[in-house]
Amino acid sequence: MNQIPHEFAIGGVFMPPLMVVSLLGTIAAVVTALLLNRYRLSRYFSYPPLVFVALMVIYSVLIGTFIIRV
Amino acid sequence: MILSRKAKEAIKTALAMTIAYGIALQMDWDKPVWAGFAVALVSLATVGQSFNKAALRISGTLVATVVALAIIALFPQDRWQFMLLLSGWVGYCTYMMGGAKYQYFWNVCGFVSIIVCMSGGPDSANAFRIAILRSQETGLGILVYSLVAILLWPTKSQADFDAAAAKLAATRRRLYQVFLAQMSNKDIGAETQELRTQLLQEQTRFGQLLEAAETDSYEVWEMRQQWRQFQRLSTDFATTMAGWHENFIELQMLDIHSLLPNLQTFGKELDVRFAQVERMLAGQPPEHQPTSIDLDLDKAEIQSLSHFRRAALAVTRTRLQHLETLSRSLFNIVCDIKGFGQAVDVTAIPSQPHTGFVFDPDRLTGVVRVMTTLWLTYLALIYIPDIPGGPGLVNMGGVFAMILAGTPQLPISKMFMPIAGSVLFGAVIHIFVMPQLSNFIELGLLLFATTFGICYLFAAPKQALSKLFGLAIFIAIANIVNQQTYSFLGITTTAMMFVIIFLLLYIITNIPFSARPEKVFLRLLGRFFHSCGYLIHNLHRNPRKRETRFVRWQKTFHVHELAGLPKKLGVWARFIDSKALPGISPLQIQAVLTGLQALSYRMQELRAESGGAKAHSLVKELQQDIKAWRDRVEETLQRLAGENNAGDKETLQNRLAALIDHLEQRIEETMGRAAEKPVTDRDNENFYRLLGAFRGVSEALVECAGNAHTINWSRWREERF
Repeated sequence: MNQIPHEFAIGGVFMPPLMVVSLLGTIAAVVTALLLNRYRLSRYFSYPPLVFVALMVIYSVLIGTFIIRV
Repeated sequence: MILSRKAKEAIKTALAMTIAYGIALQMDWDKPVWAGFAVALVSLATVGQSFNKAALRISGTLVATVVALAIIALFPQDRWQFMLLLSGWVGYCTYMMGGAKYQYFWNVCGFVSIIVCMSGGPDSANAFRIAILRSQETGLGILVYSLVAILLWPTKSQADFDAAAAKLAATRRRLYQVFLAQMSNKDIGAETQELRTQLLQEQTRFGQLLEAAETDSYEVWEMRQQWRQFQRLSTDFATTMAGWHENFIELQMLDIHSLLPNLQTFGKELDVRFAQVERMLAGQPPEHQPTSIDLDLDKAEIQSLSHFRRAALAVTRTRLQHLETLSRSLFNIVCDIKGFGQAVDVTAIPSQPHTGFVFDPDRLTGVVRVMTTLWLTYLALIYIPDIPGGPGLVNMGGVFAMILAGTPQLPISKMFMPIAGSVLFGAVIHIFVMPQLSNFIELGLLLFATTFGICYLFAAPKQALSKLFGLAIFIAIANIVNQQTYSFLGITTTAMMFVIIFLLLYIITNIPFSARPEKVFLRLLGRFFHSCGYLIHNLHRNPRKRETRFVRWQKTFHVHELAGLPKKLGVWARFIDSKALPGISPLQIQAVLTGLQALSYRMQELRAESGGAKAHSLVKELQQDIKAWRDRVEETLQRLAGENNAGDKETLQNRLAALIDHLEQRIEETMGRAAEKPVTDRDNENFYRLLGAFRGVSEALVECAGNAHTINWSRWREERF
């Protein structure tokens, strides 16, 4: 992957990298939440909505640092 | 070709939409989309319903316009005071939106104020023009739809209304027959619960159709007072029937026909009256006039009963006598409506007493969420440069927050896909189809075809929200104006704006209290038992001690909670995901709800009897024993409020039964001493009704505790995403 932050171009439409990273981070957080629900691991969290927001941020930062540079 | 009703309704909406746009574009008015919104929102099944909604929309728009202009004029350069006042007004509208009347009026007042303020606020020179434009466009949409609805295939409410009244009368009679048979220990099976639910649904539908029929039918409007009285009598009937049903457990051991010798004749007379009401509602004159009848008691047989059985019998007799009065009133009012008898003076019949203003915590929660959404979007607009949507973010945030405040059970995720689909559809039309159009005829055909398609595909009442979103988002994205421009960036910005709004609403809805249906159910359940506990604790106050205003307000609040929470629990129960809570069936939840409703009735009955009974010497004598019973009930309610579990049903039943038996013994002793100071028959009946109410609360509480014990509440309390 190109290490320099750059826009994504789809059919001539440019999208900021942060938007793509946020979207991927949200999808990853949703998948994680579904899996945690499925295996009843979510009961160990005291407040899942905040955990969900935190997961979104964590995944976005990780994707933005190692996969798609922002 | 014969068109179906949904095709006709779709054609009417599509035609009105096209004409409204045509007029707005011809007059060169800005924002014809507002006329389109008005058409989309007032198009309902019948002319009456549409007119009512239109009247509420235009009056809400006018009030909102005046308020918005006042807010802009008061704080043209003070943005914080501006938003403080606007959010306060919108919060007030949100609170009023949760009431029983004019919900849509307050909804419109709220969101139109936001739209006018955010469009006119930053550009105060044009504020007045924008406010007038909004009123103009809304009026245009309403006028066009109203004319189309009246002139083209008008669908009046009269036929549906008459059918609803007849159905209500038939269900009422059937329920009465079933209860009468059940009281005589005949097994009716599961028909009871089904009929009660059906009666409630039909009463709600009758109320909605009455409002519509008053608007579009002169015959109904002329007799509106009488129809309203019919509605009140029907509600009273349902309440009395519910209370009567609660007594059946206590009557099981009694030979009811010996104790009430003319019960069969009495029952038949009431059944005949209900049959005549059905007959008159079908347009036929009555064959039989009500004859005066009283329910006799066999005084000799009663002497052999225990005091609590006598109490149960006294309560049942009172209810049946009340049913006799109701049936007579229903007969007379329907006679008057249909012109078969003399006019009834509706002012002579008292309506429900006003209980005063009481804060509803759930409505207040909605207010806090709406105000928080407004403030967060406003702060984002000020401090984040070039945020997608601009002032539209505040507009849409306010609109969706108010929708969620009105229907808090609606999960946000359910709204996301319809909106995403509508945005995509609107985008395709805006980018690929609209640039090919060159005149209004082509544009008109496009508007007609699209509106027809959406209205036809989402014609079912359950799909009303999808239809509304589909139409509104399509016309917002299409953004039809005279100086037409096409911008892909505009559509992507709008899409991003919705994403931000949904994220914000998700956070606000779930923080700090979870919006999961099972969590809300648990909170409401705890509140219900807490209110019951408070009212039991303050049941017999010291008459020498003066009540402060705060204490009186507290009591009113808890009485309000007692009456309203079972209905709210019923609504939330429908949204509980049984698959996520294994081992819990909808039947178990329904049993809990039925128990709560029964306990609510019994508590209201106990309060009514305690308040109504004079300072009876017998009650004074038994104060300590009643206190012991009360303490036990309070302890059980506290356990139910905290852990949702009061232990084993049999253990609780035995404990309460022991207290009741002891109370019975003390009554025997006290009645023996009371022979020295004779009491009247009326005082005795009041006393027995009070005893019956105590026993009723015990029985209902045991039933509640038993139903609660069967549910694994720990799974409900588990945290989930």
